[in-house]
Amino acid sequence: MRKQRFTIWLILAILIGAIYSVYYFKLFGGPSIHDNSIAVILKSLNVRMDFWQTVNKGAETAAKEVGMELNVLGPLQENDADEQIRILEEAIEQKPEAIVIAPFADDRMSAILAKARSAGIKLVVIDTPLDMNPMPVIVSNDHAEAGRLAGETALSAAKGHPTVAIISDDPNSEISEERLTGLLEVLNRYEDSVIGVSYANNSEDRAYEIVKQLLGADKPFNTIITLNETATLGVAKLLKEQQWAGVIELIGFDSSVDEIQLLESGTLKAAIVQKPFNMGYLGVKTALKLIDGNKVDPVTYIESNVITRENMYTPENQKLLFPFINNNK
Amino acid sequence: MPRDRIVRIPLFPLKSIQSNISLAFSLLILAAIVLTSLVSYQVSVDAVERNSNGYIEEVIKQVNMNIQSYVDNMENISLLALTNKDVKYYISDNSFISTENRRTYEKRISDLFQAILYTRNDIASIMVFGYNGRFVSDRRITSLNPNAILEEQAWYKTAKSASGKSVISAPHVQNIIQNEYRWVVSLSRELKSTDGIKAEGVFLVDLNLSIINDICSNINLGKKGYLFIVDNNGNIVYHPQQQLIDSKLRTERISDVIQASSGSSFVAKDGDGKRIYSVQDTNFGWKIAGVAYTDDLIASKDELRNSILLYSLFGLTISLLISVWLSHRLSKPIKDLQSDMKQVEKGNFDIQTEIGQMNEIGQLGRSFNLMVSRTKFLMEETIHNQENKRKSELLLLQSQINPHFLYNTLDSIVWMAEQKQHEEVVLMTSALAKLFRASITKDQELVPIRVELEHITNYLLIQKMRYTDELDYVLDIDESILGYKTVKILLQPFVENAIYHGIRNMYGIEDGRITIRGRESNDQIVFEVEDNGLGMTPEQLDKIRINGDENSRNQGIGIRNVNERIKLYFGHEYGIQIRSEIEVGTCVTITIPKLE
Repeated sequence: MRKQRFTIWLILAILIGAIYSVYYFKLFGGPSIHDNSIAVILKSLNVRMDFWQTVNKGAETAAKEVGMELNVLGPLQENDADEQIRILEEAIEQKPEAIVIAPFADDRMSAILAKARSAGIKLVVIDTPLDMNPMPVIVSNDHAEAGRLAGETALSAAKGHPTVAIISDDPNSEISEERLTGLLEVLNRYEDSVIGVSYANNSEDRAYEIVKQLLGADKPFNTIITLNETATLGVAKLLKEQQWAGVIELIGFDSSVDEIQLLESGTLKAAIVQKPFNMGYLGVKTALKLIDGNKVDPVTYIESNVITRENMYTPENQKLLFPFINNNK
Repeated sequence: MPRDRIVRIPLFPLKSIQSNISLAFSLLILAAIVLTSLVSYQVSVDAVERNSNGYIEEVIKQVNMNIQSYVDNMENISLLALTNKDVKYYISDNSFISTENRRTYEKRISDLFQAILYTRNDIASIMVFGYNGRFVSDRRITSLNPNAILEEQAWYKTAKSASGKSVISAPHVQNIIQNEYRWVVSLSRELKSTDGIKAEGVFLVDLNLSIINDICSNINLGKKGYLFIVDNNGNIVYHPQQQLIDSKLRTERISDVIQASSGSSFVAKDGDGKRIYSVQDTNFGWKIAGVAYTDDLIASKDELRNSILLYSLFGLTISLLISVWLSHRLSKPIKDLQSDMKQVEKGNFDIQTEIGQMNEIGQLGRSFNLMVSRTKFLMEETIHNQENKRKSELLLLQSQINPHFLYNTLDSIVWMAEQKQHEEVVLMTSALAKLFRASITKDQELVPIRVELEHITNYLLIQKMRYTDELDYVLDIDESILGYKTVKILLQPFVENAIYHGIRNMYGIEDGRITIRGRESNDQIVFEVEDNGLGMTPEQLDKIRINGDENSRNQGIGIRNVNERIKLYFGHEYGIQIRSEIEVGTCVTITIPKLE
C-alpha cells in the first residue's frame, strides 16, 4: 500500500516535471537575457575628455543591446595611474564576469590583471596594448593603419613627391611609435621622403620650436606629419604665423575643436581620426562573447578615418568630429 | 496463436481503488491545469504584445507631436521674421538706409530675435542673411566663421531652391558662427520682397538637436528597444547607434521604414532577434520608427511565465491533495467494508459494518450485515443442533445400558431362579434380551412404531415382573399407526418416570396403572402415557418445563431429551405436553408427524 502510493507520487512528479520542461523549452526558448556584470575601466571619466566619454557611450550602447547594466569606472584626472590601479583592484573585489580596461602603461598593471584573470574574470584590453602572458584579448585602434593612412594622405597631398618632417611626442609612447611604424612603411617606399623624426614631448612650444628650426635649416620639405594633438597645434601656430599655411601641408591625428578650426581654415590638411565609440562598443561586445564562451579574435582592430576640409561636414564625419550634442550655449 | 493475443492495458492499472481514483483525478487536474495555463499564457502574451504595440504607437505619436510642436514653433518664428517690417527694410536692396540707421535696424531686429530666444531655450539661433550682404542674428555682435562659406551651406542652398517655402534640414553641426559648433536642426526660408516677387535673403532658425535627442533618447521601449528618425532621403536624423551604422557594424532597416506607410508596423527577424518596427510620418518629411524587441516587450515574459508556473504548481499541489483526500473519502466505506469482510473471513461473525450514506456502498453494507447476521444465526443453530444431537445420543446410549435397571432386572432374574420359577426366568431374560437388542441397534434413529411398541412391551413386561401387583398397565395402540416411523425409545422415559416417580412411591394405596395410548389425529400421531400416581404440584411441573428434568437426570432419560429429539427430527411444532394433578396422576402427550 505504502509503496504503491509512493509510486503514484513519483509518477506524478515525473509527469509534472516532464510537462513543464517541455512547456518551458517550447514556449520560452528565446534568446537568453544577460544578467552579466561587466566593469569598464577607462583612463578618465572626466566629462571634458570627449574621447573617453565617447568610449563610454559606445560601451553603454553595447550593453543596452543585450539589456544589461554597465559599471563604468575610471579616474577623474587623466594620467592618474595610481587611481586607476586602485579602481581596478576594487573592481576585482566585486567579482564582475568581465573587465574591459584601457590600462595606463604601468609596471604594476600586468600583475593585477593576472590576478583578475586567475579569479576567473574575463579580460578585454582596449585602446592600449599591454604586455602580459598570455596576451589578453585586445580591442584597439589600429594605430599602424592610421599611420599608413597619414602616409597615403601625405603622398596624395604632395602629388607623389613627399618630403616629410615628422613630429612625435615621445619614443616611449606606444601609440605614437605604432603610428610612426605605419607611416614609415608607406613613406619609405620613396627615396628621401622623410627628412627626420623629432620628439616634442607633448609640448606645443617644443613642436613650435622644432619646426621653426627645421624651416631655418636648408633641408626643404613640403609636408609635416604630427603624431599627436599638441604637436599639431604647435606646428599650426607657427605655420600660420609665418604664412606657411597651405604651402606646407600639415597632417595630424585625433580631433579637437582647435584642430577642427585648423581643418576649416585649411592650415591642417587632414586629420586621422579614431573611432572611440566603436572601441567602447566592440570592447563590451567582445567581453560579452567571452562570457558566453564564444570564440573571439585575439586582436580586434578599429579603423580610422581621414578627415579633410572637404569631407568634414558629411553626416558620418560630423558624428566623429562632434560626438556630443551639447546643450550649452 | 500468440500473435493474436492483444495485451490489454487496463484503464486503471493500480491495485487499490483509492490509488486509481487519485491517479485519475490527478491526471485530469494536471491536464486541465496545464491546458489552462498554456492557454492563459498565450492569451496574456498576445494581450501584452497587443498592448505594447499600442503603447509603442502611442509613444511614437507623442514623440511626433513633440517634434512637430518644435518645428511648428520654428515655422512661427520664421513667419514672424517674414512679416516683420524692419527685417524687410533691412535686407531689401532698394532701401536707403544709412550706415548709422543700419545699426539701429540691426539693433531692433537683434532685440526682437533675442526676445524670442529668451522665451525659447530650444532655439539655438535666429539669423537673417540678406542677398545684399547684410546679416543680423540674435547676438548683438555677430562674427561669422571666416572659413564657412555661406553659399555652400546646405540649408542656404535648399532654402534658395525652395523659393519661399520653409525647409527643414537634417541634423548637422552649425559652423556659420565663429567658434560655435552646435548640433542643430535648421529651418531656413527664402525671404521675398513686399511685392512677393524678388528674393531678398534667407532666414534661418536653428533648433538645438539636443531637444530632439532628449525626446528620443528618453523613450524607453523595453530594455533594448529604441527609436530612430530618418528623413525621406533615408538619412538618419536620429539613431542611438548611428556611429555603428556609419561604421557598418550594424545595419538598420531604413529602406523598409521609408517604404512603410504612416501608422503601420512590420516585424523583422534576423540575428539581432525578433523585433517590431512601428512607423509614423511627420508633417515635414521625417519618419519616426519605434523598434521594440518582442522578447523584451514582454519583459515580463519571464515573470509572466514564472507566475503562471508558480500559480499552477500551487493549484496543482492543492488539487492533488484534495484529490487524494477525496479518493480517500470515497474509498473509505469500501475499505471499511473490506476490513469488516476480512474479519468475517477470519471467523468473527459478531461484526456489523457501519452504514453511512444509503448509497450503493451503504446498500452493500446493509446486505453484508444481513448476510453476516443470517450466517451467524444459521451457524449458531447448526452448532446448537449438533451439540444437542450429540448430547441426546450420549444420553440415549446411557439409557440403553442404564446400569440400575440392568442390575435390578438381573437381581430379579437371580431371585426368580433361586425360587426355581424357571418360566419367569426365561420370560424375563428373553424380554431383557429383546429390549437390549432393540435399543442397541444404533444403525437407525427412526424405527417403525411397531418396533417401539415391542420395545415398550418388553420393558413393561420386565417392570411388571419386578413390581408384580403394584403395577398394572394397558397398551392401547391403533393397528393403523404401527407402520409409521418414530424416534426410538420414545415412550420408555415416560413409562420409567411414571413407575419411579408416580407409582413406586404409592405404598399400596391403590394399584398403579399406566395407560399407553397411541392413535392418529389428522396428520399427526399422538401418544399418551398416563398414570394414576402421585402427580405433581404446579411448581414441580413448571420446573420440569423450564429446566427439563435436570434433577431426574441420573435416574434415566429426561423428558427434555425426548422433546429435543422429537423437535430435532420432526420440527418445532411437535413435542410433548405434560398435564399433572396432585393425587390424581400425570398424563404426558407426545405428538409426532405421520411419517411412512
